[in-house]
Amino acid sequence: MEEAIAVDEVRPADLPAPPKDAIRLIQACSRPDLDARDLGRIVANDPVLTAELLRVANSAYFGLVSQVRSVARAVTVLGSRALRNLVLCIAMRDALRRDSIPGFDLDLYWEDALRRAVSAKALAGIVGLDPDECFTAGLLQDFGLLVLLYIHPDQVPQWQRLAGLDPEQRLELEADLFHATHDEVGYLLASHWDLPADLAVAMGFHHAEIPDDISPDDALLCKVTTCADWMAAAYGSEDKRQVIQRCRSLLEAHFDIAADTADRLLQQVSLDVQEAASVLGIRVGEQLGFEELMREANLRLAQDNLSYQELTWRLEKALAERDRFAARLRRELELAREVQRSLLPGEAEQLPGVVGLNVSAREVSGDFYDFFPLPDGRIAFCLADVSGKGMNAALLMAKTASLFRCLGRGVHDPAKLLSMLNREIAETSIRGMFVTMVAGVSDPHTGEVVLANAGHLPALHMGCAAVVAEYGAQSPPLGISPEAGFSNEAFNLDGGCLYLYTDGLLEAPVEGGGRLEQAGLLRLLHEYAHLPPAERVRSVADAARAADGTVEDDLTLVVVEGNERHGMC
Amino acid sequence: MTFAVQDSNGFAVVQLCGEIDLRNSPEARKLILTSLKKQKHVMVDLSAVEYIDSSGVASLVEGFQYARANDLEFGLLGVSEAAMNVLRLARLDQVFPIYDSLDDRLSHGG
Repeated sequence: MEEAIAVDEVRPADLPAPPKDAIRLIQACSRPDLDARDLGRIVANDPVLTAELLRVANSAYFGLVSQVRSVARAVTVLGSRALRNLVLCIAMRDALRRDSIPGFDLDLYWEDALRRAVSAKALAGIVGLDPDECFTAGLLQDFGLLVLLYIHPDQVPQWQRLAGLDPEQRLELEADLFHATHDEVGYLLASHWDLPADLAVAMGFHHAEIPDDISPDDALLCKVTTCADWMAAAYGSEDKRQVIQRCRSLLEAHFDIAADTADRLLQQVSLDVQEAASVLGIRVGEQLGFEELMREANLRLAQDNLSYQELTWRLEKALAERDRFAARLRRELELAREVQRSLLPGEAEQLPGVVGLNVSAREVSGDFYDFFPLPDGRIAFCLADVSGKGMNAALLMAKTASLFRCLGRGVHDPAKLLSMLNREIAETSIRGMFVTMVAGVSDPHTGEVVLANAGHLPALHMGCAAVVAEYGAQSPPLGISPEAGFSNEAFNLDGGCLYLYTDGLLEAPVEGGGRLEQAGLLRLLHEYAHLPPAERVRSVADAARAADGTVEDDLTLVVVEGNERHGMC
Repeated sequence: MTFAVQDSNGFAVVQLCGEIDLRNSPEARKLILTSLKKQKHVMVDLSAVEYIDSSGVASLVEGFQYARANDLEFGLLGVSEAAMNVLRLARLDQVFPIYDSLDDRLSHGG
């Protein structure tokens, strides 16, 4: 069994040497053939031990029916097993001298150990084990921790932390601090000091899996010490609520003990510690009563509940904040949309010969068109599409639209105008954004048009029945390369009209699947050719909308006509 | 879909493939820009691109602009027909240096 426990960091030579008097007793206690009279003789040779033993044996806690005045009588009344346990408790209590761990008050440890001892003893009756045997096992089960502190006195300041943890956390912290745990070291010490085998097993296996090759009683003692560990921790640890819950579930799992019995056992612990301490001559501080224990645990529960309530409250607040923010964002977007609308020609600005329409897919759009009369009676017009979507596209659209209106009033040469716009936009372009644009000037009287195309889809010159010409891009989009060159194309509408559009129109889904594409657009233009321009663009746009009136992408369409459009085509 | 970057002859070659649209153009953009921060010469291989939308084009434009502002080299390799149609329509073929392959770029010199 010894091989099952690896103690890399602690060698037998590191262990404290047992006091000579005590070791003789301990070893005598461990002999399987122990004769009570032999033990009695050994005890009787030591007057201090004799007095001690009689005091313990006569105490109510260790429950002798009649008082004994001599060791011989104690041996007769107690029997060898009980005597062994009492002697062991006393001998182990004195095994380490009071000053053997510098800066550490051994009573702090023994107080902690006593809680385990009385817990184990409280369980004894229920599980059918000898109460004194359980008491001794409980008292000694964590003796390894005392040994660890003896070996590493520099870790004494960590005692407070260790004592406040539950048994599992404590084991983890020990591994961190000492690179060994009290069960491993306890087992090593038990075999080195020749402690009785049943105690050695309880010391070594109250945290680990119980080995198969031990007797049922020893296995039961292991379980008792495991539970005693948690019961004692209910009083010693910081998080009492959690430990109490763990106690109840362990007691139920191991011994089928119901919750109310578990609570009664816990109550017993608080009642017994003081008494056992005074019998064993261990100084203990004020003990927490069961009522106080439960109050503290419930307080913890209340605190947890409180923080849950606070969490809920915070969440509600955050959600309300989000809603307020979303509402504000919606208002801002509506405002942005209004500003964008204001950049497009309004109803009042209708000019004979140019009509435009924009349908946007979301609050803000990256498409725009514009037109305005020039002093010489001609009309300046444009249609543009900003790359990307959302607010950044909308802002670049606003900038481009403003620049077009501002510069276009003075610069009537489309290529020159695009060149100026290009430099302006390229200077401040971010994240690769660019603008495709067709800009032109038309004379409604003569039908003469001059236009320049910067990276945009071809402008369509339609005659009565067919496409007369397409004016594709001669230059890259605006905003990419400041030194890009732009050129004009000049032609006469000859009674036909010029259509400018964005890709949202070509990519509009059509019934039966697929996209409108240029062929579909031409079909629509042909179908509505007989309508006046404003109705024509509306009809085309309506045909490109989904049944619910929405569009997938912004779509924009502009038609430029001469005064003398061919009659009814 | 994940795009790859290969280092070859002092060039970082960003391999884009399939459809480049709003869903994956941010990844293309990030790859192009991180490559430009590490390498003086960056090429984007468009030979396996089946479709590229304006957000994809914007990623290329951003790479182009970053390279110009920082005196680095940025170009396109083996542009597929689908991608070339988009670039040509917008006259972006005038903007980007375009090579058949990395060998083509190497034989042309910087």
